Amino acid sequence: MGKILDLIDVTVGYGSDVILRDVNIDVLDNDFIGVIGPNGGGKTTLLRLLLGEINPFQGQLNFYPLSKNETLFGYLPQVSTIDRKFPIKVIDIVLSGLMSRNGLFGGDKKKNKEKALEILRIAGVDHLHNYSVGELSGGQLQRVFLSRALISEPRLLILDEPNTFVDNKFEKELYELLKELNKKMAIIIVSHDVGTITSYVKTIACVNRNLHYHRSNRITAEQLASYDCPIQVISHGKIPHTVLLDHLKEKDHDQHI
Amino acid sequence: MISIFKDIFEYQFLKNAVLAAFLVSIAAGIIGTYITSRRLVFLSGGITHASFGGIGIAYYMGISPVIGAIVFSVLSAFGIEVLSHRKNIREDSAIGILWAFGMAVGIIFIFLTPGYAPNLMSFLFGSILTVTNSDLIYLIILNLVVILFFILFYRQILYIAFDQEFARSQKIPVNFFNYILIAFIAIAIVLSIRVVGIILLISLFTVPPTIANVFSNHFGKIIFWSILISFIGAFIGLLLSYSINIPSGAAIVVVFVLMFGIVKSVSVLFQHINRKKKLKVIIDK
Repeated sequence: MGKILDLIDVTVGYGSDVILRDVNIDVLDNDFIGVIGPNGGGKTTLLRLLLGEINPFQGQLNFYPLSKNETLFGYLPQVSTIDRKFPIKVIDIVLSGLMSRNGLFGGDKKKNKEKALEILRIAGVDHLHNYSVGELSGGQLQRVFLSRALISEPRLLILDEPNTFVDNKFEKELYELLKELNKKMAIIIVSHDVGTITSYVKTIACVNRNLHYHRSNRITAEQLASYDCPIQVISHGKIPHTVLLDHLKEKDHDQHI
Repeated sequence: MISIFKDIFEYQFLKNAVLAAFLVSIAAGIIGTYITSRRLVFLSGGITHASFGGIGIAYYMGISPVIGAIVFSVLSAFGIEVLSHRKNIREDSAIGILWAFGMAVGIIFIFLTPGYAPNLMSFLFGSILTVTNSDLIYLIILNLVVILFFILFYRQILYIAFDQEFARSQKIPVNFFNYILIAFIAIAIVLSIRVVGIILLISLFTVPPTIANVFSNHFGKIIFWSILISFIGAFIGLLLSYSINIPSGAAIVVVFVLMFGIVKSVSVLFQHINRKKKLKVIIDK
Protein backbone atom coordinates (compact mmCIF):
# COMPACT_ATOMS: atom_id res chain seq x y z
CA MET A 1 0.00 0.00 0.00
CA GLY A 2 1.35 3.36 -1.04
CA LYS A 3 1.43 6.45 1.02
CA ILE A 4 -0.73 9.30 -0.29
CA LEU A 5 0.28 12.04 2.09
CA ASP A 6 1.61 12.67 5.55
CA LEU A 7 1.57 15.47 8.08
CA ILE A 8 4.63 15.84 10.31
CA ASP A 9 4.36 18.04 13.42
CA VAL A 10 2.05 20.45 11.63
CA THR A 11 0.76 23.57 13.36
CA VAL A 12 -1.83 25.54 11.45
CA GLY A 13 -4.38 28.33 11.89
CA TYR A 14 -5.55 31.69 10.57
CA GLY A 15 -3.77 35.02 11.04
CA SER A 16 -2.24 34.80 14.48
CA ASP A 17 -4.68 32.18 15.81
CA VAL A 18 -3.40 28.65 16.09
CA ILE A 19 -6.22 26.16 15.50
CA LEU A 20 -4.35 22.85 15.33
CA ARG A 21 -1.06 22.02 17.01
CA ASP A 22 1.51 19.28 16.37
CA VAL A 23 -0.60 17.17 14.04
CA ASN A 24 0.87 13.88 12.84
CA ILE A 25 -0.93 11.51 10.51
CA ASP A 26 -0.24 9.29 7.50
CA VAL A 27 -2.87 8.67 4.86
CA LEU A 28 -2.33 5.45 2.93
CA ASP A 29 -4.11 3.94 -0.07
CA ASN A 30 -7.36 2.24 0.94
CA ASP A 31 -7.51 4.03 4.28
CA PHE A 32 -10.99 4.89 5.51
CA ILE A 33 -10.58 7.54 8.18
CA GLY A 34 -13.45 9.02 10.16
CA VAL A 35 -12.66 12.50 11.48
CA ILE A 36 -14.63 13.36 14.60
CA GLY A 37 -14.50 16.12 17.16
CA PRO A 38 -16.44 19.03 18.60
CA ASN A 39 -17.48 22.07 16.57
CA GLY A 40 -14.68 24.61 16.47
CA GLY A 41 -12.17 21.87 17.23
CA GLY A 42 -10.47 22.23 13.86
CA LYS A 43 -12.05 19.56 11.62
CA THR A 44 -12.68 21.97 8.77
CA THR A 45 -9.24 23.52 9.25
CA LEU A 46 -7.71 20.07 8.84
CA LEU A 47 -9.58 19.58 5.57
CA ARG A 48 -8.60 23.00 4.29
CA LEU A 49 -5.00 22.17 5.09
CA LEU A 50 -5.14 18.90 3.18
CA LEU A 51 -6.81 20.60 0.22
CA GLY A 52 -4.07 23.20 0.09
CA GLU A 53 -6.29 26.17 0.90
CA ILE A 54 -4.14 27.13 3.87
CA ASN A 55 -0.48 26.48 4.59
CA PRO A 56 1.08 25.14 7.79
CA PHE A 57 2.67 27.64 10.19
CA GLN A 58 5.14 24.93 11.13
CA GLY A 59 5.88 21.34 10.20
CA GLN A 60 5.52 19.53 6.91
CA LEU A 61 2.70 18.44 4.64
CA ASN A 62 3.98 16.01 2.01
CA PHE A 63 2.17 14.47 -0.94
CA TYR A 64 3.35 11.32 -2.69
CA PRO A 65 1.76 11.35 -6.14
CA LEU A 66 2.09 8.18 -8.22
CA SER A 67 2.18 10.03 -11.51
CA LYS A 68 2.27 13.59 -12.67
CA ASN A 69 -1.29 13.86 -13.91
CA GLU A 70 -3.07 11.84 -11.26
CA THR A 71 -6.01 13.46 -9.52
CA LEU A 72 -5.20 13.37 -5.87
CA PHE A 73 -8.44 14.64 -4.36
CA GLY A 74 -12.13 14.27 -4.82
CA TYR A 75 -13.84 16.69 -2.50
CA LEU A 76 -17.40 16.83 -1.22
CA PRO A 77 -17.93 20.14 0.62
CA GLN A 78 -20.74 20.94 3.02
CA VAL A 79 -23.85 21.60 0.99
CA SER A 80 -24.72 24.63 3.12
CA THR A 81 -21.83 26.60 1.61
CA ILE A 82 -23.39 26.47 -1.85
CA ASP A 83 -25.46 29.26 -3.43
CA ARG A 84 -28.64 27.40 -4.35
CA LYS A 85 -29.78 30.14 -6.74
CA PHE A 86 -26.66 30.00 -8.92
CA PRO A 87 -27.52 29.41 -12.59
CA ILE A 88 -25.75 26.11 -13.24
CA LYS A 89 -27.01 22.73 -14.43
CA VAL A 90 -26.36 19.39 -12.74
CA ILE A 91 -24.35 18.03 -15.66
CA ASP A 92 -22.04 21.08 -15.54
CA ILE A 93 -21.52 20.66 -11.80
CA VAL A 94 -20.37 17.09 -12.37
CA LEU A 95 -18.16 18.14 -15.29
CA SER A 96 -16.48 20.69 -13.05
CA GLY A 97 -14.94 17.70 -11.27
CA LEU A 98 -12.75 17.22 -14.33
CA MET A 99 -11.25 20.71 -14.12
CA SER A 100 -7.81 19.61 -13.00
CA ARG A 101 -7.75 16.75 -15.50
CA ASN A 102 -8.57 18.54 -18.66
CA GLY A 103 -6.32 21.54 -18.47
CA LEU A 104 -7.29 24.78 -20.13
CA PHE A 105 -9.31 23.64 -23.07
CA GLY A 106 -11.60 21.01 -21.69
CA GLY A 107 -10.57 17.73 -23.35
CA ASP A 108 -12.99 15.51 -25.27
CA LYS A 109 -16.39 17.07 -24.59
CA LYS A 110 -18.54 14.17 -25.72
CA LYS A 111 -16.55 11.61 -23.77
CA ASN A 112 -16.60 13.77 -20.65
CA LYS A 113 -20.35 14.17 -20.88
CA GLU A 114 -20.90 10.43 -21.22
CA LYS A 115 -18.68 9.89 -18.23
CA ALA A 116 -20.60 12.45 -16.19
CA LEU A 117 -23.91 10.77 -17.05
CA GLU A 118 -22.48 7.38 -16.12
CA ILE A 119 -21.36 8.65 -12.71
CA LEU A 120 -24.76 10.29 -12.15
CA ARG A 121 -26.39 6.96 -12.98
CA ILE A 122 -24.30 5.22 -10.31
CA ALA A 123 -25.32 7.90 -7.83
CA GLY A 124 -28.94 7.37 -8.90
CA VAL A 125 -29.65 10.88 -10.18
CA ASP A 126 -28.96 10.73 -13.94
CA HIS A 127 -32.58 11.74 -14.64
CA LEU A 128 -31.77 15.12 -13.07
CA HIS A 129 -28.84 15.97 -15.34
CA ASN A 130 -30.64 18.89 -16.98
CA TYR A 131 -31.99 20.37 -13.73
CA SER A 132 -30.50 23.49 -12.24
CA VAL A 133 -29.05 23.47 -8.76
CA GLY A 134 -32.03 25.31 -7.24
CA GLU A 135 -34.44 22.54 -8.22
CA LEU A 136 -32.72 19.82 -6.19
CA SER A 137 -33.40 18.56 -2.69
CA GLY A 138 -30.60 18.32 -0.16
CA GLY A 139 -30.08 14.62 -0.74
CA GLN A 140 -30.11 14.99 -4.52
CA LEU A 141 -27.56 17.77 -4.27
CA GLN A 142 -25.31 15.55 -2.15
CA ARG A 143 -25.49 12.83 -4.80
CA VAL A 144 -24.60 15.36 -7.49
CA PHE A 145 -21.64 16.62 -5.47
CA LEU A 146 -20.52 13.09 -4.81
CA SER A 147 -20.60 12.50 -8.57
CA ARG A 148 -18.50 15.61 -9.06
CA ALA A 149 -15.96 14.34 -6.54
CA LEU A 150 -15.80 10.90 -8.17
CA ILE A 151 -15.66 11.73 -11.87
CA SER A 152 -11.91 12.35 -11.80
CA GLU A 153 -11.30 8.95 -10.19
CA PRO A 154 -9.35 10.43 -7.28
CA ARG A 155 -6.91 8.56 -5.07
CA LEU A 156 -8.35 10.17 -1.97
CA LEU A 157 -12.00 11.11 -1.44
CA ILE A 158 -12.63 13.78 1.19
CA LEU A 159 -16.18 14.27 2.51
CA ASP A 160 -17.19 17.10 4.84
CA GLU A 161 -20.29 16.11 6.83
CA PRO A 162 -22.14 14.42 3.98
CA ASN A 163 -24.89 13.29 6.34
CA THR A 164 -26.32 16.72 7.05
CA PHE A 165 -29.59 17.60 5.31
CA VAL A 166 -30.19 14.08 4.07
CA ASP A 167 -32.65 11.39 4.99
CA ASN A 168 -31.73 8.12 6.64
CA LYS A 169 -32.27 6.15 3.47
CA PHE A 170 -29.72 8.19 1.56
CA GLU A 171 -27.32 8.07 4.47
CA LYS A 172 -27.33 4.30 4.48
CA GLU A 173 -26.94 4.15 0.70
CA LEU A 174 -24.10 6.63 0.89
CA TYR A 175 -22.17 4.60 3.43
CA GLU A 176 -22.67 1.40 1.45
CA LEU A 177 -21.44 3.21 -1.65
CA LEU A 178 -18.41 4.52 0.23
CA LYS A 179 -17.59 1.04 1.42
CA GLU A 180 -17.59 -0.10 -2.20
CA LEU A 181 -15.51 2.90 -3.32
CA ASN A 182 -13.01 2.28 -0.54
CA LYS A 183 -11.77 -0.75 -2.46
CA LYS A 184 -10.47 1.66 -5.08
CA MET A 185 -9.61 4.80 -3.13
CA ALA A 186 -8.77 6.13 0.29
CA ILE A 187 -11.55 8.04 2.06
CA ILE A 188 -11.53 10.71 4.76
CA ILE A 189 -14.96 11.54 6.15
CA VAL A 190 -15.79 14.28 8.64
CA SER A 191 -18.88 13.49 10.62
CA HIS A 192 -20.82 14.43 13.70
CA ASP A 193 -22.53 11.10 13.75
CA VAL A 194 -19.93 8.98 15.50
CA GLY A 195 -22.31 6.13 16.10
CA THR A 196 -22.90 5.47 12.41
CA ILE A 197 -19.48 6.12 10.98
CA THR A 198 -17.64 3.82 13.34
CA SER A 199 -19.32 0.84 11.72
CA TYR A 200 -17.97 1.81 8.29
CA VAL A 201 -14.60 3.50 8.81
CA LYS A 202 -11.38 1.63 9.52
CA THR A 203 -9.68 4.22 11.71
CA ILE A 204 -10.70 7.31 13.65
CA ALA A 205 -9.02 10.69 13.97
CA CYS A 206 -10.17 12.73 16.96
CA VAL A 207 -9.65 16.41 16.25
CA ASN A 208 -9.83 18.95 19.04
CA ARG A 209 -7.06 21.53 18.82
CA ASN A 210 -4.75 18.60 18.21
CA LEU A 211 -5.20 15.24 16.54
CA HIS A 212 -5.28 11.81 18.13
CA TYR A 213 -5.08 9.08 15.54
CA HIS A 214 -6.85 5.96 16.72
CA ARG A 215 -5.89 3.09 14.44
CA SER A 216 -9.12 1.18 14.90
CA ASN A 217 -12.82 1.79 14.37
CA ARG A 218 -13.60 0.79 17.91
CA ILE A 219 -13.43 3.50 20.46
CA THR A 220 -14.79 3.86 23.97
CA ALA A 221 -16.20 6.89 25.71
CA GLU A 222 -13.23 6.71 28.09
CA GLN A 223 -10.81 6.82 25.20
CA LEU A 224 -12.65 9.73 23.67
CA ALA A 225 -12.39 11.52 26.99
CA SER A 226 -8.66 10.79 27.21
CA TYR A 227 -8.25 12.27 23.75
CA ASP A 228 -10.02 15.38 24.97
CA CYS A 229 -12.61 14.78 22.28
CA PRO A 230 -16.03 15.67 23.66
CA ILE A 231 -18.56 14.83 20.96
CA GLN A 232 -22.20 13.99 20.78
CA VAL A 233 -21.41 10.41 21.59
CA ILE A 234 -22.51 11.22 25.11
CA SER A 235 -25.94 12.32 23.97
CA HIS A 236 -26.14 9.38 21.59
CA GLY A 237 -25.98 7.02 24.50
CA LYS A 238 -24.37 3.71 23.70
CA ILE A 239 -21.96 3.41 20.86
CA PRO A 240 -22.47 0.46 18.58
CA HIS A 241 -19.52 -1.93 18.50
CA THR A 242 -18.87 -2.40 22.14
CA VAL A 243 -15.20 -2.46 22.71
CA LEU A 244 -13.60 -5.81 23.41
CA LEU A 245 -12.05 -6.12 26.80
CA ASP A 246 -8.57 -6.78 25.53
CA HIS A 247 -8.78 -3.89 23.12
CA LEU A 248 -6.78 -1.55 25.29
CA LYS A 249 -3.99 -4.07 25.61
CA GLU A 250 -3.63 -4.14 21.84
CA LYS A 251 -2.32 -0.61 22.01
CA ASP A 252 -3.63 -0.11 18.54
CA HIS A 253 -4.01 3.58 18.97
CA ASP A 254 -1.28 6.16 19.12
CA GLN A 255 -0.41 7.40 22.54
CA HIS A 256 -0.09 11.12 22.61
CA ILE A 257 1.09 13.22 25.45
CA MET B 1 -41.05 58.37 -33.91
CA ILE B 2 -40.27 57.07 -37.40
CA SER B 3 -38.10 60.07 -38.15
CA ILE B 4 -35.55 59.00 -35.55
CA PHE B 5 -34.56 55.99 -37.66
CA LYS B 6 -33.78 58.37 -40.49
CA ASP B 7 -31.95 60.64 -38.07
CA ILE B 8 -29.74 57.80 -36.85
CA PHE B 9 -28.25 57.52 -40.29
CA GLU B 10 -28.05 61.25 -40.73
CA TYR B 11 -26.50 62.48 -37.51
CA GLN B 12 -23.12 61.22 -36.32
CA PHE B 13 -23.99 61.75 -32.64
CA LEU B 14 -27.05 59.50 -32.89
CA LYS B 15 -25.08 56.88 -34.78
CA ASN B 16 -22.46 56.96 -32.03
CA ALA B 17 -25.13 56.74 -29.35
CA VAL B 18 -26.68 53.61 -30.86
CA LEU B 19 -23.25 52.06 -31.39
CA ALA B 20 -22.28 52.85 -27.79
CA ALA B 21 -25.51 51.30 -26.52
CA PHE B 22 -24.75 48.17 -28.55
CA LEU B 23 -21.16 47.88 -27.35
CA VAL B 24 -22.01 48.56 -23.72
CA SER B 25 -24.79 45.96 -23.92
CA ILE B 26 -22.25 43.29 -24.84
CA ALA B 27 -19.83 44.14 -22.04
CA ALA B 28 -22.59 44.67 -19.47
CA GLY B 29 -24.38 41.47 -20.53
CA ILE B 30 -21.30 39.32 -20.01
CA ILE B 31 -19.91 41.04 -16.92
CA GLY B 32 -23.40 41.62 -15.49
CA THR B 33 -24.20 37.89 -15.64
CA TYR B 34 -21.03 37.22 -13.70
CA ILE B 35 -21.81 39.98 -11.17
CA THR B 36 -25.37 38.86 -10.48
CA SER B 37 -24.54 35.14 -10.36
CA ARG B 38 -21.80 35.75 -7.82
CA ARG B 39 -23.85 38.33 -5.91
CA LEU B 40 -21.29 41.07 -6.47
CA VAL B 41 -23.87 43.78 -7.11
CA PHE B 42 -23.00 45.85 -4.06
CA LEU B 43 -19.28 45.52 -4.81
CA SER B 44 -19.93 46.76 -8.32
CA GLY B 45 -21.92 49.70 -7.00
CA GLY B 46 -18.94 50.58 -4.80
CA ILE B 47 -16.51 50.39 -7.70
CA THR B 48 -18.83 52.56 -9.81
CA HIS B 49 -18.90 55.36 -7.27
CA ALA B 50 -15.23 55.00 -6.32
CA SER B 51 -14.31 55.58 -9.97
CA PHE B 52 -15.53 59.16 -9.62
CA GLY B 53 -12.44 59.86 -7.50
CA GLY B 54 -10.30 58.88 -10.47
CA ILE B 55 -12.27 61.18 -12.76
CA GLY B 56 -11.72 64.12 -10.40
CA ILE B 57 -7.99 63.50 -10.01
CA ALA B 58 -7.60 63.09 -13.78
CA TYR B 59 -9.27 66.45 -14.41
CA TYR B 60 -7.07 68.13 -11.81
CA MET B 61 -3.92 66.66 -13.37
CA GLY B 62 -5.13 67.39 -16.88
CA ILE B 63 -5.07 63.77 -18.10
CA SER B 64 -7.80 61.67 -19.72
CA PRO B 65 -10.65 61.14 -17.23
CA VAL B 66 -11.29 57.66 -18.65
CA ILE B 67 -7.73 56.58 -17.87
CA GLY B 68 -7.93 58.21 -14.43
CA ALA B 69 -11.21 56.46 -13.64
CA ILE B 70 -9.92 53.08 -14.84
CA VAL B 71 -6.77 53.26 -12.70
CA PHE B 72 -8.69 54.46 -9.64
CA SER B 73 -11.52 51.95 -9.91
CA VAL B 74 -9.27 48.95 -10.65
CA LEU B 75 -7.16 49.85 -7.62
CA SER B 76 -10.29 50.26 -5.46
CA ALA B 77 -11.57 46.91 -6.67
CA PHE B 78 -8.28 45.20 -5.81
CA GLY B 79 -8.33 47.02 -2.46
CA ILE B 80 -11.77 45.59 -1.64
CA GLU B 81 -10.68 42.11 -2.78
CA VAL B 82 -7.58 42.24 -0.55
CA LEU B 83 -9.40 43.77 2.44
CA SER B 84 -12.26 41.30 2.34
CA HIS B 85 -9.85 38.38 2.67
CA ARG B 86 -8.85 39.65 6.09
CA LYS B 87 -11.06 38.34 8.79
CA ASN B 88 -11.23 41.57 10.77
CA ILE B 89 -12.85 43.69 8.03
CA ARG B 90 -16.31 43.00 6.66
CA GLU B 91 -16.51 43.15 2.91
CA ASP B 92 -19.65 45.24 2.76
CA SER B 93 -18.25 47.75 5.22
CA ALA B 94 -15.07 48.06 3.14
CA ILE B 95 -17.24 48.66 0.06
CA GLY B 96 -19.29 51.29 1.88
CA ILE B 97 -16.15 53.18 2.89
CA LEU B 98 -14.66 53.18 -0.61
CA TRP B 99 -18.01 54.11 -2.14
CA ALA B 100 -18.24 57.45 -0.35
CA PHE B 101 -14.49 58.07 -0.28
CA GLY B 102 -14.24 57.89 -4.07
CA MET B 103 -17.12 60.32 -4.52
CA ALA B 104 -15.63 62.73 -1.96
CA VAL B 105 -12.21 62.68 -3.64
CA GLY B 106 -13.85 63.30 -7.01
CA ILE B 107 -15.92 66.25 -5.81
CA ILE B 108 -12.91 67.88 -4.07
CA PHE B 109 -10.59 67.60 -7.07
CA ILE B 110 -13.17 68.80 -9.55
CA PHE B 111 -13.82 71.78 -7.26
CA LEU B 112 -10.07 72.49 -7.08
CA THR B 113 -9.57 72.25 -10.85
CA PRO B 114 -8.98 75.79 -12.10
CA GLY B 115 -10.70 77.24 -15.13
CA TYR B 116 -13.21 75.16 -17.05
CA ALA B 117 -15.36 73.12 -14.68
CA PRO B 118 -16.45 69.89 -16.34
CA ASN B 119 -20.12 69.10 -16.33
CA LEU B 120 -20.63 66.97 -13.21
CA MET B 121 -24.12 66.08 -14.27
CA SER B 122 -22.92 64.22 -17.37
CA PHE B 123 -20.88 61.85 -15.19
CA LEU B 124 -23.60 61.36 -12.65
CA PHE B 125 -26.48 60.86 -15.11
CA GLY B 126 -24.70 59.96 -18.33
CA SER B 127 -24.62 61.65 -21.70
CA ILE B 128 -24.91 59.02 -24.38
CA LEU B 129 -25.49 61.67 -27.03
CA THR B 130 -21.97 63.03 -26.53
CA VAL B 131 -20.14 59.73 -27.03
CA THR B 132 -16.90 60.30 -28.93
CA ASN B 133 -15.06 58.08 -31.37
CA SER B 134 -12.34 57.36 -28.82
CA ASP B 135 -15.03 56.20 -26.33
CA LEU B 136 -16.20 53.74 -28.97
CA ILE B 137 -12.67 52.48 -29.61
CA TYR B 138 -12.12 51.87 -25.89
CA LEU B 139 -15.40 49.93 -25.79
CA ILE B 140 -14.49 47.82 -28.82
CA ILE B 141 -11.12 46.88 -27.28
CA LEU B 142 -12.76 46.00 -23.96
CA ASN B 143 -15.39 43.87 -25.69
CA LEU B 144 -12.82 41.97 -27.73
CA VAL B 145 -10.73 41.19 -24.64
CA VAL B 146 -13.73 40.22 -22.49
CA ILE B 147 -15.33 38.06 -25.19
CA LEU B 148 -12.05 36.25 -25.87
CA PHE B 149 -11.43 35.68 -22.16
CA PHE B 150 -14.94 34.33 -21.56
CA ILE B 151 -14.77 32.02 -24.57
CA LEU B 152 -11.35 30.63 -23.62
CA PHE B 153 -12.05 30.25 -19.91
CA TYR B 154 -15.84 29.84 -19.82
CA ARG B 155 -15.74 26.65 -17.75
CA GLN B 156 -13.13 27.89 -15.31
CA ILE B 157 -15.07 31.13 -14.75
CA LEU B 158 -18.34 29.26 -14.24
CA TYR B 159 -16.88 26.67 -11.86
CA ILE B 160 -14.98 29.21 -9.77
CA ALA B 161 -18.05 31.43 -9.55
CA PHE B 162 -20.19 28.48 -8.44
CA ASP B 163 -17.83 26.93 -5.88
CA GLN B 164 -14.47 28.56 -5.21
CA GLU B 165 -13.47 26.09 -2.56
CA PHE B 166 -13.90 23.14 -4.88
CA ALA B 167 -12.15 24.93 -7.74
CA ARG B 168 -9.22 25.53 -5.40
CA SER B 169 -9.12 21.86 -4.50
CA GLN B 170 -8.84 21.17 -8.24
CA LYS B 171 -5.72 23.34 -8.43
CA ILE B 172 -7.37 26.04 -10.53
CA PRO B 173 -5.65 29.43 -10.01
CA VAL B 174 -8.73 30.89 -8.33
CA ASN B 175 -7.11 34.12 -7.13
CA PHE B 176 -5.69 34.87 -10.56
CA PHE B 177 -9.15 34.56 -12.12
CA ASN B 178 -10.76 36.59 -9.36
CA TYR B 179 -8.37 39.50 -9.87
CA ILE B 180 -8.70 39.43 -13.67
CA LEU B 181 -12.49 39.37 -13.45
CA ILE B 182 -12.70 42.12 -10.87
CA ALA B 183 -10.47 44.25 -13.11
CA PHE B 184 -12.85 43.54 -16.01
CA ILE B 185 -15.77 44.61 -13.81
CA ALA B 186 -14.02 47.87 -12.95
CA ILE B 187 -13.06 48.67 -16.55
CA ALA B 188 -16.46 47.73 -17.97
CA ILE B 189 -18.12 49.96 -15.38
CA VAL B 190 -15.92 52.95 -16.16
CA LEU B 191 -16.47 52.65 -19.91
CA SER B 192 -20.24 52.43 -19.38
CA ILE B 193 -20.44 55.61 -17.31
CA ARG B 194 -20.96 57.66 -20.48
CA VAL B 195 -24.16 55.78 -21.31
CA VAL B 196 -26.23 55.99 -18.12
CA GLY B 197 -23.97 57.76 -15.62
CA ILE B 198 -22.60 56.72 -12.24
CA ILE B 199 -25.87 56.89 -10.34
CA LEU B 200 -27.89 54.73 -12.72
CA LEU B 201 -25.10 52.47 -13.94
CA ILE B 202 -25.70 49.48 -11.70
CA SER B 203 -29.04 48.85 -13.44
CA LEU B 204 -27.21 48.15 -16.70
CA PHE B 205 -25.30 45.30 -15.04
CA THR B 206 -28.13 43.86 -12.96
CA VAL B 207 -31.52 44.24 -14.66
CA PRO B 208 -30.82 42.42 -17.98
CA PRO B 209 -29.27 39.31 -16.33
CA THR B 210 -32.09 39.29 -13.79
CA ILE B 211 -34.66 39.34 -16.60
CA ALA B 212 -32.80 36.56 -18.43
CA ASN B 213 -32.62 34.55 -15.23
CA VAL B 214 -36.43 34.52 -15.08
CA PHE B 215 -36.58 32.15 -18.07
CA SER B 216 -33.10 30.59 -18.15
CA ASN B 217 -30.90 28.87 -15.60
CA HIS B 218 -27.95 28.39 -17.89
CA PHE B 219 -25.01 30.75 -17.32
CA GLY B 220 -24.06 30.96 -21.01
CA LYS B 221 -27.65 31.49 -22.18
CA ILE B 222 -28.17 34.19 -19.56
CA ILE B 223 -25.18 36.01 -21.03
CA PHE B 224 -26.67 35.80 -24.53
CA TRP B 225 -30.14 36.94 -23.48
CA SER B 226 -28.73 39.71 -21.27
CA ILE B 227 -26.89 41.20 -24.21
CA LEU B 228 -30.02 41.09 -26.34
CA ILE B 229 -32.33 42.45 -23.63
CA SER B 230 -29.82 45.12 -22.73
CA PHE B 231 -29.57 46.35 -26.30
CA ILE B 232 -33.33 46.32 -26.88
CA GLY B 233 -33.88 48.21 -23.62
CA ALA B 234 -31.16 50.74 -24.31
CA PHE B 235 -32.44 51.30 -27.86
CA ILE B 236 -36.05 51.82 -26.76
CA GLY B 237 -34.82 54.11 -24.00
CA LEU B 238 -32.89 56.14 -26.53
CA LEU B 239 -35.92 56.40 -28.83
CA LEU B 240 -38.06 57.58 -25.92
CA SER B 241 -35.51 60.07 -24.75
CA TYR B 242 -35.08 61.48 -28.25
CA SER B 243 -38.74 61.63 -29.15
CA ILE B 244 -40.23 63.01 -25.93
CA ASN B 245 -37.08 64.84 -24.84
CA ILE B 246 -36.28 63.24 -21.46
CA PRO B 247 -32.80 62.32 -20.08
CA SER B 248 -31.55 59.21 -21.90
CA GLY B 249 -29.95 57.41 -18.91
CA ALA B 250 -33.11 57.60 -16.84
CA ALA B 251 -35.25 56.58 -19.83
CA ILE B 252 -33.10 53.46 -20.36
CA VAL B 253 -33.36 52.43 -16.70
CA VAL B 254 -37.14 52.88 -16.65
CA VAL B 255 -37.48 50.77 -19.82
CA PHE B 256 -35.30 48.03 -18.24
CA VAL B 257 -37.46 47.87 -15.14
CA LEU B 258 -40.68 47.85 -17.19
CA MET B 259 -39.26 44.97 -19.25
CA PHE B 260 -38.48 43.13 -16.03
CA GLY B 261 -42.03 43.69 -14.80
CA ILE B 262 -43.54 42.36 -18.03
CA VAL B 263 -41.30 39.27 -18.26
CA LYS B 264 -41.80 38.41 -14.60
CA SER B 265 -45.60 38.75 -14.84
CA VAL B 266 -45.74 36.56 -17.95
CA SER B 267 -43.58 33.93 -16.26
CA VAL B 268 -45.74 33.91 -13.13
CA LEU B 269 -48.85 33.59 -15.32
CA PHE B 270 -47.31 30.64 -17.19
CA GLN B 271 -46.34 28.90 -13.96
CA HIS B 272 -49.87 29.38 -12.70
CA ILE B 273 -51.39 27.86 -15.86
CA ASN B 274 -48.94 24.95 -15.79
CA ARG B 275 -49.73 24.20 -12.18
CA LYS B 276 -53.45 24.17 -12.95
CA LYS B 277 -52.85 21.82 -15.90
CA LYS B 278 -50.81 19.45 -13.76
CA LEU B 279 -53.42 19.55 -11.04
CA LYS B 280 -56.10 18.75 -13.60
CA VAL B 281 -54.13 15.75 -14.88
CA ILE B 282 -53.79 14.45 -11.34
CA ILE B 283 -57.49 14.98 -10.61
CA ASP B 284 -58.54 13.34 -13.91
CA LYS B 285 -56.51 10.27 -13.02
